[in-house]
Amino acid sequence: MVTVKDTLKLFGISIVICCAAFVCTLFINYRIDLAAIAGTVQGDQAQKLYDAQLSTSTVVCAVAGGCLILTSVVMLLTYIRNFIDSRSKELGIMKALGWSDMGIAKHFGIFGMSVLAGAIIGISAAAAYMPKFYELQNKTDYFSVPREMHYGAFALLALIPTAVFAALAVLFAYRSLRKPVMKLLREDPGSKVRNGKNDEALCFTKELRKDTVRSKRSLMFFVWFSAFCFSCNTQMSFSMTNLASETMGYMILVIGLIIAYMMLILALSAVVRGNAKTAAMMRIFGYEDGEISRSILNGYRPVALFGFILGTGYQFGLLKIMVGVVFKDIDTTPEYDFDFKALCIALPVFIVSYELVMLFFGSRIKKLPVKSVMLDN
Amino acid sequence: MITVENITKSYGSGAGENRVLKGISTTIGDGEYAVILGASGSGKSTFLNVVSGLEKADSGSVKYDGTDITELSDKQLTKFRRENIGFIFQQYYLLPNMTVEKNVRMGADLAGSKDWKEIINAVGLGDKLRSYPSELSGGEQQRVSVARALAKKPKILFLDEPTGALDEATGRQVLDYIGKLHDQLGFTVIMITHNQNIADMADTVIRMNSGTVTEVYHNAERKTAYEIGW
Ligand SMILES: Nc1ncnc2c1ncn2[C@@H]1O[C@H](COP(=O)(O)OP(=O)(O)O)[C@@H](O)[C@H]1O
Ligand SMILES: [Mg+2]
Repeated sequence: MVTVKDTLKLFGISIVICCAAFVCTLFINYRIDLAAIAGTVQGDQAQKLYDAQLSTSTVVCAVAGGCLILTSVVMLLTYIRNFIDSRSKELGIMKALGWSDMGIAKHFGIFGMSVLAGAIIGISAAAAYMPKFYELQNKTDYFSVPREMHYGAFALLALIPTAVFAALAVLFAYRSLRKPVMKLLREDPGSKVRNGKNDEALCFTKELRKDTVRSKRSLMFFVWFSAFCFSCNTQMSFSMTNLASETMGYMILVIGLIIAYMMLILALSAVVRGNAKTAAMMRIFGYEDGEISRSILNGYRPVALFGFILGTGYQFGLLKIMVGVVFKDIDTTPEYDFDFKALCIALPVFIVSYELVMLFFGSRIKKLPVKSVMLDN
Repeated sequence: MITVENITKSYGSGAGENRVLKGISTTIGDGEYAVILGASGSGKSTFLNVVSGLEKADSGSVKYDGTDITELSDKQLTKFRRENIGFIFQQYYLLPNMTVEKNVRMGADLAGSKDWKEIINAVGLGDKLRSYPSELSGGEQQRVSVARALAKKPKILFLDEPTGALDEATGRQVLDYIGKLHDQLGFTVIMITHNQNIADMADTVIRMNSGTVTEVYHNAERKTAYEIGW
């Protein structure tokens, strides 16, 4: 019912988990070693720098790891929801034949495998990169952290997320399945969105544009979050290169880009899939390709822009606080101010790449066969 | 006038080839009420899709007053459908998140027509403008889809088993609305059904069997939806 092939489709989650595992492995390992030399640091400046290093690695671990894991949880739950929605008939029949909800739901545990795969790759990559990472971290003259590999921590890093994700998948599937059989069989679209105000003057294509965005809040969130991450991480990476190190800058950049594009692609694939019937029906009626893809996709443009703006503000605030609080007593910390150069690069790149992705999904909508509306059922 | 000449279409190839249409020719006049009658699997839907330009035939021609639509590009076909054709399917395919009014405007906006409310009234749903499809019965939903198709002022209305999912009483009602609007507006009707009795409502009956036309006959007198058997 839930096959390994379905799990493979979760490669997006594997990639995000891989990033999370990479970053967390490096910093957890470093933090353990850092904690071990606590007593040996001598001198006022050295102590302050040591404290700063300690809190930076905690913050990086928590923020990067937390963001990435949150992202993958949202991805997982959305995937399961779509999986159940798109197979609601089969699942309804299974239930009608007497399968229990838990009997079906427990098969979803296999989705944990995608997490395990990602984690193993990320941890291995981190282990390979570890010597270079320590070299970079130890560039300061005040103290040097000896490197040790904490394989026990690595194992926990792989196993705990796998178990948690598997359990989450089962529980969420169980919850989604707890509907009456008839509801599953009828494929009730269920969520009709009523935004009290019915704008009578609005023409059909505009209404559709609004409705596409409104009716699937999770997809709206994905697009928003994608833009937010893009904006936040690209701009932060510029400043990080000055404030911390080039490695840190690149790490943040790569993580940001991966989350941003994964999310955007995931969301837009779901949008296209979810509107296949509408698009086919519009085509049958004689709407042109451009009109169809515009009314399905264009509503997300302001959402993305809003995400970008908020991301810009967020990274500025975060860095201001970090520089102000964490590094406040250390002489060598450079000044931080809003980086307009970063914004001037990030914004055009964002707009161009976002439009390219939209163009791609627009062409996917064009390729949807007209018959898709008549074939199922 | 629609002239269909020697249409063939197969699915698959080699040993698994399924010849669905085996050389179909027929003509349907302007304003005519034509019914295509045949058992399930005889190729009716495929034929309808080819005639309406939704699907390409393997060979043959479909001419609308001399214009062969099998030679049009996709873009031209879209324009052709936009200006000429309305569709009604067995499943209603209404947009679930939109009110009756907005669903009908999907058709009306295409023709730039402003009289969608009158059309909704004409199918007896004047008091359901603000309802959502899930709040309507099957018959009401099908009437919305009739209004949606007619709001774009089609010259030809294609219907693929429009009453297939409805009970007798509701089915009659839907057919009655279609019949009345046909008489009033004068569009051409091409309707698929496997119900022998519904054929009594038509001017022309085209009987299909395994991908060929086996019989064409004309009714001297058309019956209304309430006069036919079921
Ligand atoms: N897209 C398709 N691919 C393969 N076979 C098809 C396809 N569409 C229809 N067929 C086949 O064509 C035959 C006629 O189908 P259809 O035109 O839907 O018949 P009807 O509408 O009279 O029931 C059936 O045997 C069906 O299996
Ligand atoms: Mg059919």
